[in-house]
Amino acid sequence: MSALGGPKQTGGVQSPTAIGIVLSIVLIVVALGLAYFLVQMAGVLALVGIIIGGVLVAFGVHFVPVGGAPAAMGQSPGIATGVAMLAAGAGLAGLFGGAWAAPLGLPVALAGGAVGGGLLMAITCTMVNVIYVFGMGIPAASGKVDKDPITGDTFPEYKSQGTEGHGLPFISWVGGVIGGALGGLGGTLIYLELLDIYQAQLPVLLNATVEQIAPVAISLAGIFAVAMFLINAVLAAYNITGTIEGPHDPKFKRFPRAVVAAAVASAVAGIFAIGLLQLVGVF
Amino acid sequence: MEEIVFGIGITALAGALATVAGAAEDTESDIGSQGDPNSQVQLAPQMGYIHRIFNKAVAGEPPAYGLWVALGAGLAWAFMAMQINPILAIVLGSALAVFVQGVYATTAYLGRTASLAKFGQPVYIDILKSMTTVTMAHAFVAIFTTVAMCHLIISALGHPFPLPLLGLVWGIALGAAGSATGNPFYGKERQYQEQKFGAGVPISASGNIVRYAEAGQRNSLDNGFFSAKLGGPASGICFGLIVFFELWRTVVFEELNIWGPIVVGVVVILIFAIIDRYIEVWARKNFGPYTAPEEASS
Repeated sequence: MSALGGPKQTGGVQSPTAIGIVLSIVLIVVALGLAYFLVQMAGVLALVGIIIGGVLVAFGVHFVPVGGAPAAMGQSPGIATGVAMLAAGAGLAGLFGGAWAAPLGLPVALAGGAVGGGLLMAITCTMVNVIYVFGMGIPAASGKVDKDPITGDTFPEYKSQGTEGHGLPFISWVGGVIGGALGGLGGTLIYLELLDIYQAQLPVLLNATVEQIAPVAISLAGIFAVAMFLINAVLAAYNITGTIEGPHDPKFKRFPRAVVAAAVASAVAGIFAIGLLQLVGVF
Repeated sequence: MEEIVFGIGITALAGALATVAGAAEDTESDIGSQGDPNSQVQLAPQMGYIHRIFNKAVAGEPPAYGLWVALGAGLAWAFMAMQINPILAIVLGSALAVFVQGVYATTAYLGRTASLAKFGQPVYIDILKSMTTVTMAHAFVAIFTTVAMCHLIISALGHPFPLPLLGLVWGIALGAAGSATGNPFYGKERQYQEQKFGAGVPISASGNIVRYAEAGQRNSLDNGFFSAKLGGPASGICFGLIVFFELWRTVVFEELNIWGPIVVGVVVILIFAIIDRYIEVWARKNFGPYTAPEEASS
């Protein structure tokens, strides 16, 4: 036990506690019950979609190789920016593509969102290596593993003295693309679920046609999707604490805790998004 | 067919605007020292190295640009609703957003630097006067081009998002692309210019940033001059490619098949995987393993 009474630290990897899981299940069930009470079965299905989307975002963030401030000095591998920020950039680019493809049906929109997020990360990660190699003359070297699990490249001999590695090894590049794709997929799923809810409710509430309320519904769904995306990305960033190299990093094993937290956060935040119009109606 | 040709033209224009936006964004953030390398600017006085570098990193680049571009886009949207010409509306919206950026830069510099008073770091009023306006000018270019690009995407390509929301989305993506690509060049190559080329900065050297220029003390305008040579243009190419491919795959291939943009997107990702792997192998072959310098660097 620490001085603050928290659980003992176990080298970074900490499984969700039993009480945490029970509390999470209770909160999710309450949120689902409220969704049924407010919007019947459509609300429950939408909330389940939002929870899945939120979990995908939080899980995806763990794949993104983020080196933070040390990476900007070539002191640690990864992309030199914040976890939540980079994931948000990728996920929102995915949401842009997904929302554009929304009229073409759920599978096309979801795939469009995933590819959009993956594409941003693919280009960004490649340009990071371009800068490291052609601007700074530094080859990629991981600090967490001795060998790239995909290419088999060895790293210790390429690592500069006094650093934890630098650049983006290929495994981190792949992790970045997977993370961006999962973020884009999750963000688009949240957007589409909310759009369905608003498109069903707004015409009744405002006594207008679906075409007339479309701008309002799209704006509301888009804003809530961005907000929900940021909630889950920041939660995952807290779980990672600082930097992560990608799926080969020992910190990656922390994801179960973030997945549970993201499910609860998405359920609780999602119920406000779903019940928004009922709340507006009350006032 | 004509519609596709028109779409390709708009896509090319949006990509070009995004390229300018990325370059201006990175240069602005380096002059203002807003990216992750600013940790060293904040650390230096604590290690006894007093400097004349601007210091405004109270928010990361993506949320800051999300705010400024959404603000510029929102105001432009309001002006357009008042039947003002779109170009004028975008200029006015961007100009007003830049004033918010100026207030942000001023308060951030004063606040961050004043917090270092106990380490003897002075607040230089001449730095505030000469550099804030330069970051504002670069921020205007970045915000104007991004808002103009968003307006094109909506009015010419028919994206469903309203202008302020699209501004937020692409503002955050602009900050993410600019900070990811430009930060290492500003951090390693500029702030630690005295360290050996071709190696990361040893953690023991943290805080010992370069503080002297060819004549007198180095300031952030010198840093902007340096990063505009590679970090800025590379960030521009990064953001330009992202916007171009994102639009191009939809505009050209959606007409052929609804799955077309997705297949093309996957192919583009695979092409970038090959390019990245080629660069990685090229660096390993040409640079070789790390060898310790004969003379220990400071």
